[in-house]
Amino acid sequence: MQYELRYQVIEPKRHTYQNVIDRLGDQPASRYLEATLDVQPTENFHYRPTWAQDRELYDDRFSALRLSDPYAFTDPRQYYYTPYVTNRAALHDEFGKTISYLEDRDLLAKLPDAWQAVLSSTVVPLRHYESGAQLVSVAGARFAYGTAIEQCCSFAAFDRIGNAQMLSRVGIAVGGGTAAVLASAKQEWLAGPHLQPLRRLIEEIMVLDDWAEGLLAVDYIDQQLYPLLYQSLDESALLGGAGAYSLFSQHLAAWFADQRKWLDALTKAWADDPERGVANQEHLARIHDTWAPRATEAAAALEATVGDIS
Amino acid sequence: MTKTLRQVGIDLQESEDNRALIEAIEGDNPDLTIRHLPGLIKLQAPGQIVINRQSVEAKLGREWETGEFQLAIVSYAGNFSEWDDDQIIVNWEH
Repeated sequence: MQYELRYQVIEPKRHTYQNVIDRLGDQPASRYLEATLDVQPTENFHYRPTWAQDRELYDDRFSALRLSDPYAFTDPRQYYYTPYVTNRAALHDEFGKTISYLEDRDLLAKLPDAWQAVLSSTVVPLRHYESGAQLVSVAGARFAYGTAIEQCCSFAAFDRIGNAQMLSRVGIAVGGGTAAVLASAKQEWLAGPHLQPLRRLIEEIMVLDDWAEGLLAVDYIDQQLYPLLYQSLDESALLGGAGAYSLFSQHLAAWFADQRKWLDALTKAWADDPERGVANQEHLARIHDTWAPRATEAAAALEATVGDIS
Repeated sequence: MTKTLRQVGIDLQESEDNRALIEAIEGDNPDLTIRHLPGLIKLQAPGQIVINRQSVEAKLGREWETGEFQLAIVSYAGNFSEWDDDQIIVNWEH
């Protein structure tokens, strides 16, 4: 008796969901695209927001920067829930290991005095800055038009909480397991002259009506702060016998590199838009001219205090 | 004697991650023919198949090492004439 082995291919009726088929045709698509393309509701909004009667609930006019096709931008990192969570869990795991290494050996408490001063008077207070940046990202998550952009803003908002948490844990470790440094850091944030331009700036950005303008304005600050504190200061820490500083700052530098990826892609999508590109470029130039000099100013005030050390 | 181009082939496992890899190979090799079998995708091209790290990374949205190709591959026909950090080339050398 013989058996004949055959296989039979059963063609699926459809390879992906309708939202993807509408744009890319019936072919297998990534989970990211399936969970992103045209997911945002666009019609049948029954009520207008009472606080903006000339707008729909979700409306691309909430920002001057608009895309003719909101899905012309997709996240280059392709983050949806699972990859985002996996990725950030890994980042914070790494950070957790670093901080417990630092705590076990009391490395932060043993830092040279000048470095401890920089940490507690300049770096730890920035957790309040992260909190402001979080609010700005949340505004993007609410008012941006198109799931691809909203997703990135939501994740960025969670990231900011994560960053603030990292800074808080560093603060607690510097304070030898107490919240003393966190309390003094808050006073620095409220009253320290080197932080006031930054605090004023982030508070002004928080109340901007245009979510995209806020996002970019915060980014101009980031572009100054992150390289200054977590890259150039990192190098002087390594040379100046403060290796512990470098150990934790690498994680914030890693986050900033990740943040750049989607923001740069989004800015490019705005500028290259086939219909609104020219108008967008004008707005981008205006936003840059308004906020970039202020960011430089705020960073300069901060740099003056860390300048002696580097 | 004219040299005939023999077919080289790669068989890859069908999975979410490999889909991006296949799209990248498709983009870099215009003469590629693709056959779907259950759980398996057979790629064939005359002469050679090139896999570029950069195009895979662009499709995948994250960093990708050429070593990860090992995890995707089921079988192949041809020689790996090059396998470095940026590129994998499969062809017949003789």
